[in-house]
Amino acid sequence: MTFQVVLNTVIAIMWAVLWNSYTGVDFLLGYIVGIFILFVLRRFLHFDFYMRRVFAAFKLIALFIKELIMSNIDVVKVLLSPKFDIEPGIIEVPTQLKSDWELTLLASLISLTPGTLSMDFSEDKKSIFVHSIHVPDKEQMIREIHDTFEKAIMEVTH
Amino acid sequence: MTAIEWIVAILCLIGGFLSLVGGIGFIRFPDVYGRTHSATKSATLGVITVMVGTFLYFLLAEGMFSGKILLTILFVFLTAPLAALMVSRAAYRTGVPLSKLTTQDDLKKKYPEARKDVH
Amino acid sequence: MFKVLLMIALFFMSISLVISFVRTVKGPTMPDRIVALDAIGITLIGVIGILMILQETIAYAEVILVIGILAFIGTIALSKFVERGDIFDRD
Repeated sequence: MTFQVVLNTVIAIMWAVLWNSYTGVDFLLGYIVGIFILFVLRRFLHFDFYMRRVFAAFKLIALFIKELIMSNIDVVKVLLSPKFDIEPGIIEVPTQLKSDWELTLLASLISLTPGTLSMDFSEDKKSIFVHSIHVPDKEQMIREIHDTFEKAIMEVTH
Repeated sequence: MTAIEWIVAILCLIGGFLSLVGGIGFIRFPDVYGRTHSATKSATLGVITVMVGTFLYFLLAEGMFSGKILLTILFVFLTAPLAALMVSRAAYRTGVPLSKLTTQDDLKKKYPEARKDVH
Repeated sequence: MFKVLLMIALFFMSISLVISFVRTVKGPTMPDRIVALDAIGITLIGVIGILMILQETIAYAEVILVIGILAFIGTIALSKFVERGDIFDRD
């Protein structure tokens, strides 16, 4: 990945030199041309196209904003309904993410989504303890977290 | 009123409403963990919405780009989950009881000695 | 009209502040008070943000930054104190 970023920057500088104008706009244009060249050459040079990760990161942000709005509406509905029937509980959510960085990101995303709150990590860093204000079905909640956030984070880092 | 003013006013109203919902949660939730939810989610999201409105107002109506407001939004976003985690873990370790509505408690097996006097 | 709408938002936030203050005084346990103090700090940021629009000044930008940082550090320090009785880990 580092090699590709260096290559892309070199292409951008060469673009600016060839046009003989050294402004930020020219550099940006050269960078976009470099991305296109790398995309065309990805089969010959035997590497994984690095912009795929950037697209995955944008997808993660979009997914996060969608979840934020949806679950916020849910929590407001629960709080303002006259009958206050909730079933809070603490659930152990197993995760496949390995590094500390990914675990921190997952825990922060879980915490920022209304309705769920990450409370603690297990000793072997294999699961996160999540407090939720409404858990009628434990398995379904674990599956939801696996399908949304964990899958999106793994697409960014792998 | 111009279009920018409408957008800013609506953003501020949504933020104020979310803050109010957070305050209502402070009254209605039965235990400290539920109150942590309402404090760190509804209040934080409300404040972030208000600050986005403020940033847009100064950028579009007054023509001033204020990086400090953006920095505040980023900072609140980064610190809210951490503060919630620290407070709720401290509450659990010192043996603050869960409410009677609670259906399951998986964390009990990690801190058995802290919860001995509670259940 | 614009100012009236902003005033309504300010009114909502002040109700939230009052409730948080009541919870700080009354709160049955110590973590309740910490959470309520954190909520007061965060809501104050929003109040000052609306004040900035009402008074059309950008001078309070530093104030909200400092309030945000102090609220966060205060919450962390208080919760560590409640957890162990010790703010800095020495081991």
